[in-house]
Amino acid sequence: MSLAIVVEQLLNALALAGLLFLVSAGLSLVFGILRVVNFAHGVFYMLGAYFGFSVVATTGWFWPSLLIVPPVVGLVGAMLEASTLRFIYRRPPIYQLLLTFGIALILEESVRVLYGPTAKGVDPPPLLQGAIEIAGTLYPRYRLFLVLLGLAVGATVWLLLTRTRTGLVIRAVAQNSEMADCLGADVARVRTLVFGAACALAGLGGVAAAPMTTAYLGMGISVIVDAFVVVVIGGLGSIPGSMAGSLIVGAAQTWGAFYLPETAMVIMYAVMGAILIFRPWGLFGEEE
Amino acid sequence: MSRGRWLGAAALVALAIAPWALARHQLSILTDLLIFGLFALSLDLLMGYTGMVSFGHAAYFGLGAYGSALVLIHFGQPIPVALLAGAVLAGVTAIPVGWFSTRAKDIYFAMLTLAFAQLLYTVAYKWRDLTGGSDGIAGVPKTTLFWGGPSLASGPAFYAVVAVAVVVSLFVCRAIVASPFGRALQAIRENERRFLALGRDPRPFKLAVFVIAAVFAGLAGALFAPFRGFASPEVMFWVLSGQGLMMVITGGIGTLVGPIVGAMVFILIQEILSSYTEHWMIFTGAIFVLMVIFLPGGLVGTARRLAARA
Repeated sequence: MSLAIVVEQLLNALALAGLLFLVSAGLSLVFGILRVVNFAHGVFYMLGAYFGFSVVATTGWFWPSLLIVPPVVGLVGAMLEASTLRFIYRRPPIYQLLLTFGIALILEESVRVLYGPTAKGVDPPPLLQGAIEIAGTLYPRYRLFLVLLGLAVGATVWLLLTRTRTGLVIRAVAQNSEMADCLGADVARVRTLVFGAACALAGLGGVAAAPMTTAYLGMGISVIVDAFVVVVIGGLGSIPGSMAGSLIVGAAQTWGAFYLPETAMVIMYAVMGAILIFRPWGLFGEEE
Repeated sequence: MSRGRWLGAAALVALAIAPWALARHQLSILTDLLIFGLFALSLDLLMGYTGMVSFGHAAYFGLGAYGSALVLIHFGQPIPVALLAGAVLAGVTAIPVGWFSTRAKDIYFAMLTLAFAQLLYTVAYKWRDLTGGSDGIAGVPKTTLFWGGPSLASGPAFYAVVAVAVVVSLFVCRAIVASPFGRALQAIRENERRFLALGRDPRPFKLAVFVIAAVFAGLAGALFAPFRGFASPEVMFWVLSGQGLMMVITGGIGTLVGPIVGAMVFILIQEILSSYTEHWMIFTGAIFVLMVIFLPGGLVGTARRLAARA
């Protein structure tokens, strides 16, 4: 096997990991702070892809969609949190999971009503079209962009959480929401903010994914299943865990698809099973 | 006799006279409702009595459907043989899946079951030679009651098989949850740590109930394939798993009868909505969101609470 193929596969794995990270980071963040597994998280990714398509189709520009769409998706998410989830935090976790399942159904079908059943293609911007030569092989520029985007967002989220005052309050709520409440943190607002921010991240993932995968119905569920595997491997509530999990799943899927196309899915689950035998709470998760 | 027993007896009588009281297509809908009722019932063993929320329960329904379809199409065996084949296939597959999944708890368990179900779905989708891929297996016959026995091809005859299977399953499940084993499951649901502190290992119990629930889901699927005449990957899809959860919550978690009622109400709502609008999923989703917020006990749970207060 030549070096060119190794480099190509490695970059493919990193590009996929970049997308997976954008989705799983938010899933993990919401779990860490709200203790809710958001089944609708993948649908926000899909919303991002479709809204991105709308912006590109009407204005013809890709770059603004990266800035406009995530806040819009985040707003939708924050509004849904404040109008439904907020009332049932005291119930057993299953009720929250089921509630988000209901929300996922509503949003998925709404997208079908608005956009119709056919997939929508999005052209990448001229700067990211075509390929560039790396280690003797031609590699699509757009995928390199996904690698960089994943890294940049990962670094930003980490800095926000560990280096700012807002991040401090968020971490306090994650650790002990009642104590944070007593100390004067507005817990309800933090929850809405985090939920919205996580949805915005998923939306950003969707915008970025659309030029590669098109925007299609069902992309939400297919990504949420992968993202579940990522956070199970990495540990729920841990951002470094999401990053590690994304890399592992990205690598398993890419190499699996290359060497054993029929069994790519199986390899991903085999890796997950192997990790869970030794650490049932994930690589970076904490035993509860 | 208590009010609950009177209601139960009345329901049994209603099921018994249904073939004479209902029109053909109504009986067919009732058969459908009962099959999904059995599916929801099996999920309640996990959710309601052990506190394990499976997000991949449709996989075992689907395995049951494929198992029974293959036996009926290729070997032309009587229906009970096909039911056994479907239930066993589901139960056997649930052993390794359960072994892995029960290592994790709560949300992790839910996600693992979903992941394994998607894996099984992919296998059904890709293994064209055996399963027919996305087309599935069509033309599954309703064969006979036993070798050389009466044909079950007519609507009322197959309804009778389904009704008996569902009622027997309900009584078996009631016996299970009332048994010492069932008590242990409920102890795990209430406080797993204390269960452990009392010197019992919860994992064998969880694995056992996971397999039992899969067997009943498989039985439901095994009834579904000959009833509808096909088995396809859709019956293993996550949507059905999610609908199962909705049925249990709608009817009343941890009541066994509730999920059957929930399945009936849920499917009837869907039938009615889908005759008005193509986009019924929006409305089912909305109804479900409202139910989760305002009726956490479900229909049967809320009815019981009101009855107790009255």
